[in-house]
Amino acid sequence: MVLYIPSDSLLHRLHPSTKIVGLALLLILTVAFQSPWYQLVILAGVLLLARSAGAFRNLRRILPLMITVLVFSVVSWSLFRRIGDPFWSFGLFTLSTESIRFGFAMGFRLEAMLVSGMVFVSCTKVEEFAYGLRAIGLPFAVSFALSLAFRLVPLFFTRIGTVVQAQQARGLDLKSGNVLQRARKYVPLLVPIFVYAIRDTDLLSMALESKGFGMRGRRTEYLAFPFVWRDYAILGLLVILNIAGWLMPVP
Amino acid sequence: MNQPILTLSDLAFTYRDAPKPALDQIDYRHRRGEFTVIVGETGAGKSTLCRCLNGLIPSFTKGRLEGSLQVAGHRDSERPQVYELARIVGLVFQDFEAQLFSTNVELETAFALENFAVDRDRMKTRVDRALNRVGLSGFEQRDPASLSGGEKQRLAIASVLAGSPSVVVMDEPTTDLDPVGKRDIFTLAQVLRNEIEGIILVEHETEHVLSADRILLMHEGRIVQEGPPGEILADPRNVERHGVRPLQTTVLLSELGLETDALTIEDAAARIRSAGWRVKKSAQESLEGARRREPPCDPPGEPPHEPLDDSRQSVVHIKNLVFRYGEAPPAVDGVSLDIAAGEFVALVGQNGCGKTTLAKHLNGLHAPTEGEVRVLGKSITDWTLPELGRRVGYVFQNPDHQIFANTVRDEVAFGARNYGFSEEEVGEKVDAALAETGLSGRDLEDPFNLTRGERQQLAVASVLATDPGILVLDEPTTGLDYHGQVAILNLVRRLNESGRTVVMITHSMWVVAEYADRCIIMSGGRVVQDGDVRTCFSNPELLESLYLEAPEAVRLGYEFGLVARSVQEIAHCLERVEE
Repeated sequence: MVLYIPSDSLLHRLHPSTKIVGLALLLILTVAFQSPWYQLVILAGVLLLARSAGAFRNLRRILPLMITVLVFSVVSWSLFRRIGDPFWSFGLFTLSTESIRFGFAMGFRLEAMLVSGMVFVSCTKVEEFAYGLRAIGLPFAVSFALSLAFRLVPLFFTRIGTVVQAQQARGLDLKSGNVLQRARKYVPLLVPIFVYAIRDTDLLSMALESKGFGMRGRRTEYLAFPFVWRDYAILGLLVILNIAGWLMPVP
Repeated sequence: MNQPILTLSDLAFTYRDAPKPALDQIDYRHRRGEFTVIVGETGAGKSTLCRCLNGLIPSFTKGRLEGSLQVAGHRDSERPQVYELARIVGLVFQDFEAQLFSTNVELETAFALENFAVDRDRMKTRVDRALNRVGLSGFEQRDPASLSGGEKQRLAIASVLAGSPSVVVMDEPTTDLDPVGKRDIFTLAQVLRNEIEGIILVEHETEHVLSADRILLMHEGRIVQEGPPGEILADPRNVERHGVRPLQTTVLLSELGLETDALTIEDAAARIRSAGWRVKKSAQESLEGARRREPPCDPPGEPPHEPLDDSRQSVVHIKNLVFRYGEAPPAVDGVSLDIAAGEFVALVGQNGCGKTTLAKHLNGLHAPTEGEVRVLGKSITDWTLPELGRRVGYVFQNPDHQIFANTVRDEVAFGARNYGFSEEEVGEKVDAALAETGLSGRDLEDPFNLTRGERQQLAVASVLATDPGILVLDEPTTGLDYHGQVAILNLVRRLNESGRTVVMITHSMWVVAEYADRCIIMSGGRVVQDGDVRTCFSNPELLESLYLEAPEAVRLGYEFGLVARSVQEIAHCLERVEE
């Protein structure tokens, strides 16, 4: 994927299916707890994972997003959630110890989800992702389409950039005018972009077919990932944590 | 040896909803070991034919297919599927960006093998061998996006070769490539012809394919001529009539009234000498002194060309320009130059050498990271984008990046309206722009129904409507056949002669030689050569070291000790000595 960071860390070396299932288990785990303290522990845990996978570079890129998410969820949940005994209120807004706890728990949970997702994309190549999905049992065409989508996004953005520049060079000014005028200004961008999208997909489909895509029957894989002890260990650990988390009385 | 590997009999194809067939009465046999080149104008059916050969037509692109296509090694069936034929006929497309999709070179090459269910242990060997053949060994882990254009196209070829097809069909593989990339592909084709059972190549530049076994000349869906290069290419008028740039050797021979079947530069020069033609006295001096568009050597006393002196107003002044995309190494690295009003400048160099990045400063699409760019006396950071964009018309490489309107007229009016001219003024400017580009009277046509060449002219018209004094064109001839190229080049020349300054990015060295006044060569973000076009071509070693090659006509001139820009110039410098 675009955000992939080459490395030889333990997380990078995991079997792709372990990465996918592991991510899912991590996300489920974050939902198991209501306490901000437990959420903070999980967040610290995934940050450690991020550190070990060398994913901090990517986290730094989404830092503004992470801060916004944290502030927004703490503030809004604390003010709007009506639980417990409010010790302050003003119109629609109320504040209680419980609602503040809940706000922080939600904030940390969303952060933990964001970081887990980021760790995943930092240590998984598009082809590994597709391979992992197939290994779990998804049909080839589906996994290929998914991985292709990831691949085509940056190409598509390059095309959009070119079209925008070409129209700017002809004096298109997207910044002025009211909403309706501005909406109309997107027509000169959308038409060439669609023409390109259609043409590119058409060409790519032909190139794929010309290399035997769509052939029925058995297919082999160039990549091979052994499923080894570390995969069992990681998945085992995550399953145990989940069982423990979900069976525990809600903290 | 004699058994045909592909047999097409009376093949015809009509695209769905098309009024007339794209292919008609195609009879062709491709024998083992042959290297065939297909030439012809845009719309002659070359791509359609290529797509029939591996079954994309009719299984992917629908329409009515008649006649028969037999592929050796494939059991006959009425409608073979693409994946069945793909093992025998491999197809490489022109657009290398759109045909690559993997994250590294190795996986890209392995894709076909995975589909053909080749065992894993044999796959690695075949991937290695395919990459080795195209000269990409050692690139296995590279991201295809990080490769140069030529490398990308060679990777596309490797990804097809890995599946061990008997025949490789390449549909204009060199069109989007710089001179080095082109040369690498032709070299590869030469190697491959001895290794696989057949190559079919669609190509515009006939000079590079003289060693082919056979040329197919296509016109309006039919193969109008078929034969060895010496037979098909020896008639320059016929070749040109079919939208292909004739070999310059044959053009010169024909101007001198000689037999035109000496195709290579050496053969042609030998024939001219043996017919008694010699270089006139002080021919080179009169070439140097000649104005560009007048016949040079006659009359000999032509007044010398005025050098670009300081009296001409400088419209572009660039000083120590550095430009970086983010934290990458500079794309333009310390460029200083001046362009005077009315100049015709060609900007050349390899893909990724910084030409387009440099040019985008002229209309303010880029702002300098360091240094200064002044246009019409004012720094581009002081111009507003619309004010500058009106004065510097920028024509992007591909007209389809900007065409959106329902009518030709609205498309041309777009820019002028954006710049806030009154509707009356817009009308006048549009009329003038359409007249200048030869599109008058076609106001109400749908731009998408125009030919690719006409769309390129439309893109120029839409820029002209704001009446810019400076025109920047990014590879305006790419993807056009010879007629289309000449039409757009003559248009640009007329615009230049009417006083506009032209900066043209191009990969075609013959375009530089025949149309530009001044040639700026870039390499690695720097200007490595800047001067009069003739001076530029007087140093073949320098060009060679920059992976550029003088065009055919110029090299033909070298044979006579001349630095000529066209065969017409050579012809003017020769005289027949009676023995």
